[in-house]
Parts: sequence; structure tokens; C-alpha cells
Amino acid sequence: MLKGKLKFIIAIIIIAGTISYLVFSGVKDTMVYYLTIDELQAKVPEVYGERVRVSGIVVPGTIIKDKNGNIEFRITDGENNIDVKYSGIIPDIFADDVEAVVEGNYSQQNVFNADVLLAKCPTKYESDEKLYESHKESS
Amino acid sequence: MYQIGNVCVYFAFFLSLYTVAASLIGARYRNRDLIESGRNSALSIFILLIIVSASLVYELINTNFNLRYVALNTSTDLPTIYRFTALWAGQAGSLLLWCLVLSLFSSIVVMFSNKRDIDYQPWVVVVLYTVLAFFLYLITFVENPFDLLPFTPNEGRGLNPILQNGYMAIHPVTLYLGYVGLTIPFAFGMAALISGRLNDSWIRQSRRWTILAWTFLSVGLLLGARWAYLELGWGGYWAWDPVENAAFMPWLTATAFVHSVMIQERNGMLRKWNIILLITTFFLTLLGTFITRSGIISSVHSFAQSDIGPLFLGFIAFVLIFSFGIFLYRIKELESEENFDSIISRESAFIFNNLLFLGAAFAVFLGTIFPIISEAVTGEKILVGPPFFNKVNVPIGLVLIFLMGVGPLISWRKASPENLKKNFLLPMIVAVCVGIVLFILNIRDITALLSFSLCGFVVATIVTEFYKGVSVRSSRGENIVVSLTTMISRNKRRYGGYIVHLGVVLIVIGITASSTFNSEVEATLNTGESFKIGEYELTFEKLETYKNDAKNGTKAVLLLSAGGRTIDTVYPEKNIYRYEGNREINQETEVSLRSTYKDDLYIILSNVNSNTNATFRAMINPMVSWIWAGGIVVLFGALITMMPKFAKRRSSVTEEIGLNAEKA
Repeated sequence: MLKGKLKFIIAIIIIAGTISYLVFSGVKDTMVYYLTIDELQAKVPEVYGERVRVSGIVVPGTIIKDKNGNIEFRITDGENNIDVKYSGIIPDIFADDVEAVVEGNYSQQNVFNADVLLAKCPTKYESDEKLYESHKESS
Repeated sequence: MYQIGNVCVYFAFFLSLYTVAASLIGARYRNRDLIESGRNSALSIFILLIIVSASLVYELINTNFNLRYVALNTSTDLPTIYRFTALWAGQAGSLLLWCLVLSLFSSIVVMFSNKRDIDYQPWVVVVLYTVLAFFLYLITFVENPFDLLPFTPNEGRGLNPILQNGYMAIHPVTLYLGYVGLTIPFAFGMAALISGRLNDSWIRQSRRWTILAWTFLSVGLLLGARWAYLELGWGGYWAWDPVENAAFMPWLTATAFVHSVMIQERNGMLRKWNIILLITTFFLTLLGTFITRSGIISSVHSFAQSDIGPLFLGFIAFVLIFSFGIFLYRIKELESEENFDSIISRESAFIFNNLLFLGAAFAVFLGTIFPIISEAVTGEKILVGPPFFNKVNVPIGLVLIFLMGVGPLISWRKASPENLKKNFLLPMIVAVCVGIVLFILNIRDITALLSFSLCGFVVATIVTEFYKGVSVRSSRGENIVVSLTTMISRNKRRYGGYIVHLGVVLIVIGITASSTFNSEVEATLNTGESFKIGEYELTFEKLETYKNDAKNGTKAVLLLSAGGRTIDTVYPEKNIYRYEGNREINQETEVSLRSTYKDDLYIILSNVNSNTNATFRAMINPMVSWIWAGGIVVLFGALITMMPKFAKRRSSVTEEIGLNAEKA
């Protein structure tokens, strides 16, 4: 029976090894740094050409859409800004003041060319009571 | 109304503590009165929670904005049905739903358990109501749905428009039924460990509950995918988003469990392994709830977030330490009765199935929490996106499909070469033929070719199984339809399982086709102009606007033609919700979807540039409808396996035929 057991152990090692290899190479090939805007700017110039993900608040009034579905806007972390160019599906939530998450390359011209655009609600969805207080004042 | 609800929440919480204490002490000192009292208080919690839920629903429907939860999740323009579903739109409400479902399931367990059994059953109650007490603590003291605002706003924030969708109304409930259902087998397993009654009777009960929970989880996952596909407007149904992964991980381990449990039932092997699977699965459901509820991993669709995170982490740690502790305490008593004989056997097919499911769950887990790990280790947040998950899971998935064909046909113990040849020659030929035909049809994607061939292999094995069973019966002169239905009803687990596998094959075909052969076109058009995608041509006729109570809609009218003939008119929309309230989202893209068995034409009105000019994005997603059809087949098969046994007439005949089928 030892022979049978040995076969099992070998098979299990092969499976575990293959999955570990897939995980390892998957991480290596697809990992993306998630940076804040000041981290991104601190990483210039080595960040040029690297795929990164950045999030920031959309500066009101900076969204420019053209007819071909391209969009440009600026995001900020309160102090630092970057300009973003994107083409593709724009999430419904995307608007002034929302938190935008963009993924792509930061170019030498200091423009972020994004091919992924996600938008998150500007505040935690439930914890914002300021609006109610303003509501109360106006009513 | 809310005062009643609030009082009942407190009562329910303290009663859950009492239930735990009474059952614990009763079990320890073998006091039947205490155990009985614990059972009664367990049942009364369910009644209290119905009152709690009813009073919250009452306030939601009557939009009592004095309640914080109501003000945050409804508004006066919200249709009644979505005021009702707002019960699980927010944090406090979904935790309440969690409690309600858990106490419903627990009450069923209590009611159908043997009262005289005071060694094992009270421990089930202890485990179940400890979990319930934790969740009740959350809704009583941390996130109470009856919290009042210091004032009454005139209008509530309203429900996010993308949640105002029929699928979103039922998807969370289905998922919760699945999630919560997995608590029950965990409790059985824990009770077996605590009481030391480690015979295999607990595993039978666990299997039934796991299959029920698994079914809800599967359907819930598919409903969520369908919702994302219809509502999120990016043309896909699965994004490996943390919230999706959170539900997918326990599904993977629960799937492993429903398979490995068969081996334990059959010959008492894998007893330790099954306990580990149950603990892991329960851990993953808690982790999933934690991920979804705490917002720790940024996700595009975590709608309810708050700071219950630390409490949850504490509870997860407690569960893990306790359950592995008691597991180690009993580990000597969990020795298997038998050993594995051969690597080419059904047992080993099941082992490999389990390893792969667990491996997939591990990979998904790692990918999901990778940002947290990397930040802790390197100080930098590193993400792995959908390519990671696909890269790891596609190969695992392909091997699993192969095993899905092998498992049911290969002999137990040790498969002889004759057995292999007899059972697998035909399916192998089918698989190769499928591959060759598709290659001739100019499909060159290796993954897709492999996937379709393996699907052919599985279908061939299942069809042979059905054919064998039916032909044995109909050779005795039975009508084919009659023999098919009697065959299935005599062996529901086996044939129901095959039907589930068939549904999985349909889903795999849909996923493979839609992820390999999809195409996309974007066009900006004036009215009267047209664009082509695949064999379809779309002509932009005009823009229409309409108004109703809730929204201002803009609807594009496009004529759809194929091969020079107009076949349909499609209406993608872009809507602005009129009442802006305080909700953050008031714009909504309503995709137009034309679905056939062959492909889905998915059209988005991405921008309205003027009265006569608009930008469209159109996609062809082949065979997506197969995924939903497969889901229905899975549900059907699962229902068959779960159907209660009717009278055991002619059981000897069944066995005889079963034996013949095995021999044949």
C-alpha cells in the first residue's frame, strides 16, 4: 500500500505546486500598485510607463467630454492634482466631487492615461448626516 | 410601531443569551427542564424577530423619516415594493435579515430534532444561538435599525437607482439564505465535536442543509451576476470584485463539501477533512459578510458600510480559535476507518476535486485580500485584478470539468482498465470530435477548444448514464418516459446530481463563449446614420424623452437589422432621477438587451450630445443566455436531489435495477 500512498502524495504535490505556481505568476504578471496622488507624484520618474491605480476626488468643473466618448478631468487629494484622460464606459455615479479610481499609465507629460474608471460614492453611504442637518436648517 | 420593534430586538438579544446558557448548563448537567426551556426560548426568538422585521417594514412603507434607517434608505417617490426591499438595502436592515433567516433555520432544526436526545442536540442549539447572539448584539447595540434622528427630515435619501431592480430585490435574500444556511452544518459539526458523538449521523443532516444552502448560494450568485449584467452597464456579469468573491469563496468550499461528504457516508473516510471544510466554509461566510459590510476592501458595490469591522474580526477570531481548538481536542477520535486503495478510483477523483476547489478558494481568497497583505508587509497597496483570477481559476476550472465527467463513472476502490475503457471510450471520442469540429469551424483559442471539448466529454458521460439506466428499465417493456421518471425518483441524489452537472456544463459553455468571442463597437451618430456590429446593423432613428413621477428619461430609438431585414427596435436609455434628494446617484444608464440563444446584443446609450446626436456602445456577447439557462437547470437538479423520499415501495426492485445498471 505504500506505493499507492506515494502516488497520492506525488499527485497532491503536483496539484499544490501547480496552483502555487499559477498564483505566483498570476500575482507577478497582473499586480498593480494602488497609490494616492502624492505617492504617485513622489514616484516620478520611475512610475512613468508602469501600470498603476490612483484614486482621488474629481475637481468640480473639470470634466470635459467630447463627442467621441473621450473624457478629461482632474482629480485631487486636497493638495495635489493630476489630469486624467479616459475613453470608455463612464459609470453612472461619476460626477463632480465623487471619488474616482483610475487605472492606467502616468505619461511624461504628467497626464494619466486611464483605461479603467471606477467611481465610488463621495462619502460612506450611510454615515453622512450633514445633509440632514442642512435639510433641517432649510425647512 | 418602531417602539414595539425596538423592545423586541432587546428581548430577542437577551433571550438568545438565555438560550445559550440554558442549553449549555442543561447539556452539561443533563437537566432536561433547562434544555427544554432553551428550546422554547429559541423558538420564541423567531417570533420576536418576525415582529421586529414587520415593524421595520411598516415604518419603511410609511416612510417614517424620524428613523435614521428609513431616512437613509427610502424616499417618498420610492415605489412600495422598493420601500419593502429597503429592509435589506442598508447595514442594519441586512443584519436584521441575517438574524431573521438564521433564527428561522435554527427553529426548523430545533423543531425537527429529537427532544430526548440530550447529549448532542443541546450543543447544536448552543452553537447556533451563540452565532445568533453575536448578530443580535450588532443590531441591538451597534447598528440598531430603530435608531432615531434628533429631528424628522421632510424627505429621505432614497434608494440608489441601480438597486431599484427586480433582481436586486431578490438577490441579497437568496444569497443570505445560502450564507446563513451554511451556519447549520457548521453547528452540527461543532456539536458532534463538543459532545464527542462522532458517528456519521451528523454528517447526513449536514449534507442536506449544505445542499440547500449551496442551492441558494448558487442561485444568489447567478442572480447577482444577472443584476450586474443588466444594471451596471459595462457589458459583463462578473468582475472578480471583492463583494462577488466574498460570496464565491464559501460556494467553492461548500461545493467541495457536498462531494467529499459522499465518501464519508459511503466508507467513513475523510472525517477530519470534512470538519475542516465545514469550519473553512463557515469562516468564509463570516469573512464574506465582514468584507461586504465593513468596506475594508474597496469595492465598487459595497452599498452598506460601517464600523462594525473590529467586532466582526473579533468574532471571526473567536470562531476560528474555538473550532480548531475543539477539532484538535478530538482529532484522535476522527481517525478514518479505511484507507485509500488506488489512485485511479472514484475516491481519488473526489479527493482531487476537493483539492482543486480548495485551491481555487485559496487563490480567490489571496487575490481578494492581497491589498491588505501587501500593505501590511511592504507598506504599499498592491492590487491583483481580474487577469489574476482568470489566470489561476481557468486552468483549475478546466481540470474540474474533466473530473466532473470522470467522477460519476469511475469505479469505487480501484478502477480496472476494462472499466475505464468501457465507460470512457465513447465520451473521449465525443470530446475529440467536438474539438476537431470546432477547430474546422475556425475556433483557434486553446482555452475555448479545451473547455468545449471537456463539456462534450461531460455531457457524453451523463447521457450514457441516463441511457444505461433507462435501457435496463425499458428492456422490461416499460415506456421510456415512465422509466426515466421512475429511475430519477428512485435515485434522486444520483440523477439530480447529474442534472446539476448538466446545468454547470451549460454555464461553462456560456462563460467560455461570452468571454472568448465577444466584440464591441463604439459610434457617435446623427439621427438617420447607422453602424454595424457583427452581422447586425443599427440605425439611429431618434431620441425621445419622457417623464414619470420618479425620473426624466431619454430614450434612443434604434432600428436593428440583420441581413438587410429589420428585425427589431431597441431602446437604450439614459435617465435622470428627478428627486435628487440626498442620494449620491441620480443618473442611470438603462442598457437595451436583445438576448437569443446564440448571442446577446447589448447596447448602451453612453452620451447624448444634442437632440440629434448621440454616442452608443454596442457589444455582442455570445451565448450569455446559456449561463442563466444553466442556472435554472442547476436549480432543477438540486431540487430533485432535495426532494423528500416518498413511500419506499418496491425498494427491492430499485436495488436490483440499480445493481444491474452498475454492472452494465
